[in-house]
Amino acid sequence: MSAWFDYTVNGFVIGNIYALLAVGLALIYGVANLVNFAHGSVYVVGAYIGWAAITHLGTPLPLTLLCVVVVCALVGVAIERIGLRALQGSSRIAPLLATIGIGLVLDQVVQLVWSPDPRAVPMQVPEWRIAIGGGTIGALDLLIAGIGCSSAAVLYGFLRFTKLGWAVRATAQDSDAAQQMGVDINRVNMAVFAIASVLSGISGLLVGMYYNQINPAMSFEATLKGIVALIIGGLGNVPGAIAGSLILGLTESYGIALFGTSYRNLFAFVLLVAMLLWRPNGLFAPRRAAAPEPMVGTFIARSLPVKLPRWVVPVVLLAAALLPLLNQPYLLQIGANSLMYAMLALSLTLVAGTVGQVSLGHAALLAIGGYASGLLALDAGWPVALAIPAAGLITAGLGTALVWPAFRLTGHYVSIATLGIGEIVSLVILNWTGLTRGAIGLGGIPPLELFGVDLGSVQGTYWLCLVVLVLLALLQLRLLSSHLGRTWRAIRDDSVAARSHGVGEDRYKALAFGYGGFAAGISGAITAHVYSYINHETFGASLSVLALTMVILGGMGNVLGAVLGATLLIALPEAFRALAEYRILIYGVVLLLLIRFRPQGLMGTV
Amino acid sequence: MSLHRRSLLLGSASLGAGTALAPRSAGAADPVFVGVSGPLTGPNAQYGAQWKDAFDLALEQLNPAAQHKLQYVFEDSQSDPRQSVAIAQKFVNDARIVMELGDFSSPASMAASPIYQRAKLVQFGFTNSHPDFTKGGDYMWSNSISQAEEQPTLADYAITGLGRHKLGVIHLNTDWGVTSKNLFSAAVQAKGATVTAAEGFLPNERDFRSTLVRIRDSNPDGIVIIAYYADAATIVRQIRTLGLTQPIVAVSSVYSPKLIELGGDAVNGVHVITTFFPDEPRPGVQRFVEAFRAKYNRDPDTFNATAYDTMVLASTLVNQYGPTRAAIREGLGKVRGVPSVIFGTMQFDQTTRRVEGAQYKRLVVKDGRFTLFTGGTPS
Repeated sequence: MSAWFDYTVNGFVIGNIYALLAVGLALIYGVANLVNFAHGSVYVVGAYIGWAAITHLGTPLPLTLLCVVVVCALVGVAIERIGLRALQGSSRIAPLLATIGIGLVLDQVVQLVWSPDPRAVPMQVPEWRIAIGGGTIGALDLLIAGIGCSSAAVLYGFLRFTKLGWAVRATAQDSDAAQQMGVDINRVNMAVFAIASVLSGISGLLVGMYYNQINPAMSFEATLKGIVALIIGGLGNVPGAIAGSLILGLTESYGIALFGTSYRNLFAFVLLVAMLLWRPNGLFAPRRAAAPEPMVGTFIARSLPVKLPRWVVPVVLLAAALLPLLNQPYLLQIGANSLMYAMLALSLTLVAGTVGQVSLGHAALLAIGGYASGLLALDAGWPVALAIPAAGLITAGLGTALVWPAFRLTGHYVSIATLGIGEIVSLVILNWTGLTRGAIGLGGIPPLELFGVDLGSVQGTYWLCLVVLVLLALLQLRLLSSHLGRTWRAIRDDSVAARSHGVGEDRYKALAFGYGGFAAGISGAITAHVYSYINHETFGASLSVLALTMVILGGMGNVLGAVLGATLLIALPEAFRALAEYRILIYGVVLLLLIRFRPQGLMGTV
Repeated sequence: MSLHRRSLLLGSASLGAGTALAPRSAGAADPVFVGVSGPLTGPNAQYGAQWKDAFDLALEQLNPAAQHKLQYVFEDSQSDPRQSVAIAQKFVNDARIVMELGDFSSPASMAASPIYQRAKLVQFGFTNSHPDFTKGGDYMWSNSISQAEEQPTLADYAITGLGRHKLGVIHLNTDWGVTSKNLFSAAVQAKGATVTAAEGFLPNERDFRSTLVRIRDSNPDGIVIIAYYADAATIVRQIRTLGLTQPIVAVSSVYSPKLIELGGDAVNGVHVITTFFPDEPRPGVQRFVEAFRAKYNRDPDTFNATAYDTMVLASTLVNQYGPTRAAIREGLGKVRGVPSVIFGTMQFDQTTRRVEGAQYKRLVVKDGRFTLFTGGTPS
């Protein structure tokens, strides 16, 4: 019995920490209608500023906090002013991607300035502890709880009782109307980003002290957990975010209690998806609150696709087919990588661009394809040439079935649900040791071959990928110009109108995910045979973000754009290779510039 | 327009390749190159930085007297298989490169193995303890410490050294952690003791309180940590704040000066085994440690030592057997008695293509310093 008490206390302790992150995210969502993926990066900045102030200047706690507050407020203002304000009026997806880019840049800057080495943050809070049950809690736990609750209370008061607070709420409800009533929404947004960034920075510092350890790589996990807590509490609901965080902490703790440590995140993400399905407005919103996101047709930038002269595509294709004759294996390997990712991008551009279901969990489809093909070849002894298409079909079926429950969601909710589903797939692969060999991974996957013809050389791989990609692209173009393609676009542009014309949305979405799953599954399967070894980390969450970036870069729904986007984003980091440590930073900056100056993508949306 | 942009990018890609491969110091006559594929950015970037420090030190010491001056080309893979395969193509088609070192993680290294194997370029994975790494082909070699050797040593420390018979295990849930945990459990059973609980955590986790409650309730009389130093520091701190007082024993990757920095007072009394200990009086160790301290003004850790050993090996191979890929492959099979900080001397087992006979030290943290453990019953 006492153990359960301890698990409960532990759940509250960790939930307490998530709360500081979730409150800032909730505030930003409430005002800017934006899930801020750079939030975890500001948290890292705050932690390092605090560490630097203590280590180099020897500041006491109040001064340390002041440094963090000032710097993070400035970072917040800069994010709003430089990164996001210019994107007002562009598609809803642009700011979301911009925050991903900003996060990338901030993480890299921190890493360049302070090195990737983990650092110890000197504790500046008295070290007394109180015994509770079998464990103890310390002064820092109480300080974190105090800051979490008081910031939520202050925010609540601010939003309810001050003029700027009213402006914030008015902006959240309808920014156009607010502007007409004389609210300076830019000032409001700037204030909100400053406040949220300060909260995030302080939590970075306190969490750093709590664990006596900070490193630049901790941002992603922080963002992820903050978002899960946010969803549980309800997007944009500040007190809800605190409750959501505590519930998330408790869920994780009880999950560990019941099934063991390796199931912890599995529970967190299952909770996330379950919440999205049953209570998408959060636990604390009335069930029949306003429809979650009235943004039909505005999620994707409208533009005309770029018209290429008729000869361009055949010429490029011919050049691509002849590339192996140059005898440049390094170039060819980059080419083969680009082609494998182009298949993934094709899949995502259909799902996200044509049907409007912006998926942030697409890497899971690669993982399913890779494991399916690897296991068929290794355990069932199938020839590679049969295992790969079979893996495509398995991924189509399994992928569609997994996303099926999320079909009734729209906008950001789809992105977050697919993010959660992606994490669940990865964690199931890790924990289902009997089938997938768990963390050990699949080794010795046979190389590519077609009925005895060895394609394991880089030329062979390249040509195979090229043929498969061309076939998939032709099929997709054919589908897009058919009745099916028109229906998909109708669902994206106005789902209410589509439904009133008798379109069964779920089935059409299922068809899109089925085809998308097939393409992505093939891509994952080929990757598995090329790598010969995969484990649950091979197809991580960062790949999903990469795939989405490719699709946006090329132009949502645009088949040629997807291929171009994949080629560029695989080639760019290689092109910047000579710049070593700086190349990911440059990549992030390039990404931001593209979103700023060409949000509809290079080739335009279809 | 898009075509133009694309060809521009491909052009700059090959341009970038040219500059990256340019010899680092033009003065050396006819230098020989090894390629290094490892993380300089991304979540594992700190390990790439540690490699670099050790490589530079080794080459600084060896090159002046060596017939063939060795240099390295370090390509950042972020420990990502997508990039490590491209780097592999780059290396195998660069005729100057006679041997490849790395990558850091198993997925990145093993994805590139087929390319190295086909091209008959030795891939030397000095951090790859995954049991399947050297099974990728006869060009995959490793001097990473064999867990089949380390885990029984660890079990011995806990059971005969400290007299513990009911052990609770916390391990990293990766290929390395799971392999180690399985070997540890087997060794513990062979010695007649029991593992009361084994809990696997994910990289990036920071909160272990609930995991530790599970461990506590399995009533162990000792706690074993299979992790890297950064996580271990956090785990130990939380073990102590939870009020658990059992002795803690940890694997060799926990040994690092950083453990003490990150763990603070809580890590006092923690036992670790290690293959590398800067205070060990053996002359090979002292030469390395003193030179490292003089150059970088800090203590080296095991990652530095392994990387240093690896570069010493590469230089030995090139100078004893010749600066060609075939000679390196030949040499790995024949070479004996290469001086090593970790092993004393290194030679490879012909079937496993790994090194055996790491010399383990038992350490305990006392007053914020690692000291040799002298108590317990000698095994």
